[in-house]
Amino acid sequence: MLSDLLFRLRALVRGRTMERELDEELRFHVEHAIEKYVASGVPRDEAIRRARLMFGGVDRIKEECRDARGVAFVEGVLQDLRYGVRTLRRAPIFSITAIVTIALSTAALATVCTLAYTLFYRRLPVDRPEQLVVVTATRGRPGIDAAEGLVAFPDYVAFRDRTKTLSDLAAHYPTAPLFVTANGNAKELNGAVVSANFFPLLGVQPALGRFFHPNEDQVPERDRVAVLSHNLWRTWFGASSEAIGALVRINGVDFTVIGVAPPTFSGVGIYPAEIYIPTMMLGVGYRWCESSLGPTCTILEMMGRLAPGRTSADAQAELPTLMPASWAHAPKDENSGIKVLPQRGTTTDESQMRLVRILVGVAIVLLLVCAANLAGLLRAQSSARAGEFAIRLSLGAASGRVIRQVMTESLIPAFAGGAAGVLLSQAFIGALAAMFYAVDDEGHPMVFDFSLTPAIVMIVIGAALAAGFLFSVGPAMKVVRRGGLVHADARSGTTRWSSGAWLLGAQAAVAVALVAVTALLAVSAHGATAGTNFEASHVALMRLRPRLMKYPPERAQRFQREVVQRLEAMPGVDSVSLVGIGAILGGGRAMVGLPEWTVDQRVRVNYNEVAPRYFETLRTPLLAGREFDARDSVSSPRVAIVNETLARRVWPALSGVEGPALSGVIGATIVVRNVPHRVVGLVKDVPLQTRTEDAQPWIYAPFWQNPQQVDSRLAIRVAGDPAAMLPMLVHEVNRVDPDVPIAETITLPIQIAGWIRPLRVSATFIGYAAALAMLLTAIGLYGTLAFAVSRRTKEIGIRMALGAARARVLRQVVREGMTVVTAGVIAGLGLAAAGARLVTHLLYGSAAADWIFYLAAALLVSAVGFLASVMPARRAAAVEPLVALRCE
Amino acid sequence: MLDSSPRLDLPQGTLDLLILKAIALDPQHGWAISERIQQISNNVLQVNQGSLYPALHRLERRGWIKAEWDVSDNNRRAKYYELTKKGRKQLEQQTDAWRTLTAAIGLLLDHA
Repeated sequence: MLSDLLFRLRALVRGRTMERELDEELRFHVEHAIEKYVASGVPRDEAIRRARLMFGGVDRIKEECRDARGVAFVEGVLQDLRYGVRTLRRAPIFSITAIVTIALSTAALATVCTLAYTLFYRRLPVDRPEQLVVVTATRGRPGIDAAEGLVAFPDYVAFRDRTKTLSDLAAHYPTAPLFVTANGNAKELNGAVVSANFFPLLGVQPALGRFFHPNEDQVPERDRVAVLSHNLWRTWFGASSEAIGALVRINGVDFTVIGVAPPTFSGVGIYPAEIYIPTMMLGVGYRWCESSLGPTCTILEMMGRLAPGRTSADAQAELPTLMPASWAHAPKDENSGIKVLPQRGTTTDESQMRLVRILVGVAIVLLLVCAANLAGLLRAQSSARAGEFAIRLSLGAASGRVIRQVMTESLIPAFAGGAAGVLLSQAFIGALAAMFYAVDDEGHPMVFDFSLTPAIVMIVIGAALAAGFLFSVGPAMKVVRRGGLVHADARSGTTRWSSGAWLLGAQAAVAVALVAVTALLAVSAHGATAGTNFEASHVALMRLRPRLMKYPPERAQRFQREVVQRLEAMPGVDSVSLVGIGAILGGGRAMVGLPEWTVDQRVRVNYNEVAPRYFETLRTPLLAGREFDARDSVSSPRVAIVNETLARRVWPALSGVEGPALSGVIGATIVVRNVPHRVVGLVKDVPLQTRTEDAQPWIYAPFWQNPQQVDSRLAIRVAGDPAAMLPMLVHEVNRVDPDVPIAETITLPIQIAGWIRPLRVSATFIGYAAALAMLLTAIGLYGTLAFAVSRRTKEIGIRMALGAARARVLRQVVREGMTVVTAGVIAGLGLAAAGARLVTHLLYGSAAADWIFYLAAALLVSAVGFLASVMPARRAAAVEPLVALRCE
Repeated sequence: MLDSSPRLDLPQGTLDLLILKAIALDPQHGWAISERIQQISNNVLQVNQGSLYPALHRLERRGWIKAEWDVSDNNRRAKYYELTKKGRKQLEQQTDAWRTLTAAIGLLLDHA
């Protein structure tokens, strides 16, 4: 075995010498054979002929000897590579086209692979991350209304103290809004409330100072200690060691800095944690519970480290047996189960997976289109070299050897293109991250680690090589099918390009589908951002959180009223309104019904509490009645405004009714959260649902009729650019009360853009794919037609000599191109309809005008095809008959 | 093939054995090996020239024969193949196996 290996190695290393020796050996043999024939009386010429015939093809024997030596493959590949590089250098346009198009398509694949890896698979940059598990409470019935739940501190303790499959279990609240004042800075930051074992469990070491001692997380509200993120330490404390021991004010409470987290660690979620406090201080970080460490305050997430030798399946088997007894018969919207999953990626959200699957599909289709395109070009190129291959085959070269040569020549640009694609993807992923994954829909910064991993590099290069194999296998087989026959008609007129036509047609079809889907997505995204039945432009948003500073309702409301007055008085401000629940255009849920209905008959609808001028500020048309105004106070009768869908859903008489007749709801009574309200207004539906969702029923109650109101979100309609106006608006609010934290200062279009991120990501990505597919179609068509024309110069010359008009030649070539394009476009329309179905769940707005986009896509691709056909056609028409006839 | 005389082509897999036998006594070059096989078999066995050299290279790779350049009878450089120890053992084994096989087939043809 070893000697065999040595022999092969020697053969490989001494390849050139052995080759020479083989030549000499075979020559020696042939000469002896000739001598033998001559000696037996055969004339020398005949002897030479017989000896050679007897010997068969020298090339093949050499080939078989090389095979026998066991180095033929490697040696041959090296030879092919050298030869391939030379060939590619001789055909620089083909090579550059191949490398660039493969790079552009593999870059797309690398980008989605990186996206998928980061979202679903990447582990935390901590010690032995493969041992980490996320422990989540579950609610509802599996497969029906299952949801994930957070846990209360006592629940966490029950699991932590009794588990044997986990070596440790930490609790954390990773998105605590902390209004931090320190060192002359004041800002609402994202903080994390973590148990003392959080950092040790992750194996993270402090960059400075220390993390929490266990005894600092044992007595509620006693130990006011905080750990800074590396970023905050640098920006607020100038990376000074003096930071240790410094006082920071967090939501109005003074904390002492004890340590700084390392720069490589920014928490365990997508929102980077800027400051950490222990779970015993949860009350400072979370203001919505009376007793933040009590059994009803469910706000904590859990992360565990598996005990040595244990798997997450072991933990999944054990932890449900440790559930608090009350979980066994919990109502359906409370925790009733426990789920253990390995810590990977940033989300398990099914809709994101669906999106990424679509994008991966598009990237693969793109790579296939690229392969089809190159197959066409290579077919043309290798037809041009048919003579060369035919000669080699008839000299006795094994057909496998020639196939391998053709393939090697394709694999070189495939590899180079794949490598370039990986590099290019770094720019793409950077752009994608900046556009879509830097800020969420509330303006909070997010961090995603989109760095490249070896696995992605290998997958992408592998895919590029697979594409290279695909696009070369056809031409390679064609070379061999021709066999040793010298391709007689290779240089004369009859070669048609119809064999590659279906590939071109397929490219055009894919291009049409991608362009049409892009148009659907982009127009839908634009429409959703601009707003239907509201106008998003010129609306600035901000969030006021006096609750973080423990303001009582009266003081908070006094503050809010003054804010509204002061802002409305500002020049450039048209109107200001507030909502009490969730975001502008968002809200919570409420059970509503008619007074005569039983409680069971009530329906769950969307609900918000809005201040006067809300619909005016958003420019939502009021169909009947009035907006809330100063009349609607805590002491006045309860009133409500409903939208069209709610009116139709709740009042049987209005079911199916459109237009003015709906105004019958004005004056009617509706029970909202058990309290009867009189309907005073009817507004148009604001369609924020996708095409696969139903229209949403909405009911609004007056912001000022809720005496518990503390926090709010503001919508401010301004005359100019809302983004430019925001600093002045913030400044004005600060003048009312500098202590109230202001957050989420963004514009309404940015908030909506965050909501429709999947739509925008797919529009951008598929748009790129569509542009590339069109480019490829154009290149393919141009290349194939130009080649066909050059091959048919003689035929065209003859026809023109016989009197064919130039215009007719031109028309004929263009017609050939457009036949393929048209067939592709028609197929593409079907493909586009199928593609549109795949993304329906992402689309907003009506489908009524979709046909326009299909038509536009068909026209666009046809126009591109036409241009790509006209150029070679003009060259054909420019053929001088005499020159053409002489050139053979 | 050009020589369509009543010669037999070699049965599959016997070429290796014949090569080993042909160089059992003294080292030979490729031409001599093919000539020797033809002569000793009274011109019955015909070595396909195309498969001789690949076979030689294969045997060399297996370490059954080794090659050395030497000067031939008419003063030309030629590649001489000789048996290695391993090759000699192979020759014995394969010869035995061949004898057993032909004997068995002979019996069968005579009596069955």
